[in-house]
Amino acid sequence: MNVVIALTITGILNLFGSIFSYRKITPLLSIIGLTTAIVFNSMYWNTNQSFFNHMMVVDNYAVAFGTVCMVLAACLIIFYNRFMGDNDHHLPEVLSVIVLSVDGAIVMVSYTNLLMLFLGVEILSISFYILAGLKKKDLGSNEAAIKYFLMGAFSTGFLLLGITLIYGATASFDLSVISEYVKLNSTSTNYLLLSGVLLILVGLLFKVAAAPFHFWTPDVYQGAPTIITAFFATVGKIASFGAFYRLFQMCFSPIVNEWSGVIMVVAIITMFIGNITALQQKNLKRMFAYSSIAHAGYMLLALLSHDYLGGNAILFYSIAYGISSMSAFIIIHIIQTQTGTDEAMGFAGLVHKNKTLAMITAISMLSLSGIPLTAGFFGKFYLFSSAIESGYVLLVCLAVINSFIGIYYYFKPVIESYFKDSITDDVIKLKSVETILLIFLSIATILLGIFPGLVPAI
Amino acid sequence: MIASVFYFLSFVSIFFAVMVVVSKNPVHSVLYLILTFFSIAGHYLLLNAQFLALVHIVVYAGAIMVLFLFVIMLLNLNAATEPVKSSLMKFAGAIAGGSLMLVLIAVLSKINSIQPAHEVNTQIGLIKNLGKILFTEYNLPFEVASILFLVAMIGTVILAKKNPHTS
Repeated sequence: MNVVIALTITGILNLFGSIFSYRKITPLLSIIGLTTAIVFNSMYWNTNQSFFNHMMVVDNYAVAFGTVCMVLAACLIIFYNRFMGDNDHHLPEVLSVIVLSVDGAIVMVSYTNLLMLFLGVEILSISFYILAGLKKKDLGSNEAAIKYFLMGAFSTGFLLLGITLIYGATASFDLSVISEYVKLNSTSTNYLLLSGVLLILVGLLFKVAAAPFHFWTPDVYQGAPTIITAFFATVGKIASFGAFYRLFQMCFSPIVNEWSGVIMVVAIITMFIGNITALQQKNLKRMFAYSSIAHAGYMLLALLSHDYLGGNAILFYSIAYGISSMSAFIIIHIIQTQTGTDEAMGFAGLVHKNKTLAMITAISMLSLSGIPLTAGFFGKFYLFSSAIESGYVLLVCLAVINSFIGIYYYFKPVIESYFKDSITDDVIKLKSVETILLIFLSIATILLGIFPGLVPAI
Repeated sequence: MIASVFYFLSFVSIFFAVMVVVSKNPVHSVLYLILTFFSIAGHYLLLNAQFLALVHIVVYAGAIMVLFLFVIMLLNLNAATEPVKSSLMKFAGAIAGGSLMLVLIAVLSKINSIQPAHEVNTQIGLIKNLGKILFTEYNLPFEVASILFLVAMIGTVILAKKNPHTS
């Protein structure tokens, strides 16, 4: 609870930055606020406290996912200030929106009441609609914002109708009451409950960008400012999966047979559409949008596992995926500002321009494609083994095939940067903070790939 | 008596909702939408939720609909500017919407008991009881909603304000 309060105060303090002319220090302020929130959050480890009539519960699951979201948001704010700080007139306000949206992410991973789920989803989504449209004069950004807004509002309607139907069946918003009800009535088919589950599935699958609800993703990811895209692809996806897994594991696991078919089909379609469409993309931001769709497909496998193995798997995968895609998008942004293109050929000859950057590109791509000795490998390993233990062997085979397809397009930027000659010989210079942070992300990727035990079990 | 009022209101709201979609003139659509909102407010009154009914009319029929009408008049929408949708899109939309309707109708037809799942407090919709429960049991969502509105307000200002140097 202190976490939410700390984040909200930080967001409000940022807002006054323009009035009382301390806008220069608002990035620092946001980082301090996020760090305070992370410290508060880690103090809740192993306490399992419940707040305000079971509205929120801060268990290890919530602490772990909340920390991941806040660390990624802190990285993002540092980069945002570096790249946009000087020519962004709304710096304090944008930072405040980013910090407050993390509030939404925290609510989404620690709710125990469907009302809180809805509020968390809305806080996160509304901040995202705003952030997508930050480049006001840019048509692509406008398109991204309006598309995201219209489709997001529509999908929220499905989520709400689902919550209503579940309330109608179980007479409660409280997850523990709902799970009791589902446990007691798991043998008889309750159609009202099932249709509610189906509609909530539609709403949440939209938020995690799973096929066939993925059509907004490429346009939004391409149109939004690149740093903001990094935010969508990491914090947005991780928080949505946190909410998704929590709801379905806590409440609807007794009737897993009723909805596992839907998840299986969606996971297969998502993986194939994501990976195969990514193969054809020239634009890197679009390619990574499809790759993030494919990752959503892998992460859906964790929902099918019967025990808490799935929770650990999805946490590890979120960390691995979050770190690697964060650094991938940051590198795309650096290349984009340097060469003016966000296509793969912008990476040509990167190794001659900046050796560190080429190295970090290689590491993050290896991790995203799931090569051993990187975090991505163990992420996939845990996910697939949890799915196999629950008996979904065929599904895992398809996922492995998809991982192999993925390697092809993840290696495109790596091949460009190491084996192609660049058109210009400009050296890319990075400020020390950026380099240190990117190297830190890469070291984390490799460390987690060698010692996966560093992530505590939840 | 109540049942016949309920069926009448349901028929009216569904009829006007369909009219919103099928009418060619956007201003007519908006006017039909207002009528839909009024009939839904009637449903709330039937459920003894006067406060909700009032807020529904004030917020939707009052504020949002006026905004809608202004936007439509400012955009000067008419048949000529309406984007042409291909028949394939219409077909796909009809199939998708039709399948959802099929699923929902199938579900509703399977539900044979219309007994409420728990004791219904018929007085809950009164403003006094609503306020009490909002500030006790549902205090946290009530407060968290303020963060939601804060974000929305900041966002509106960011998006609507001009950058000083670009103008």
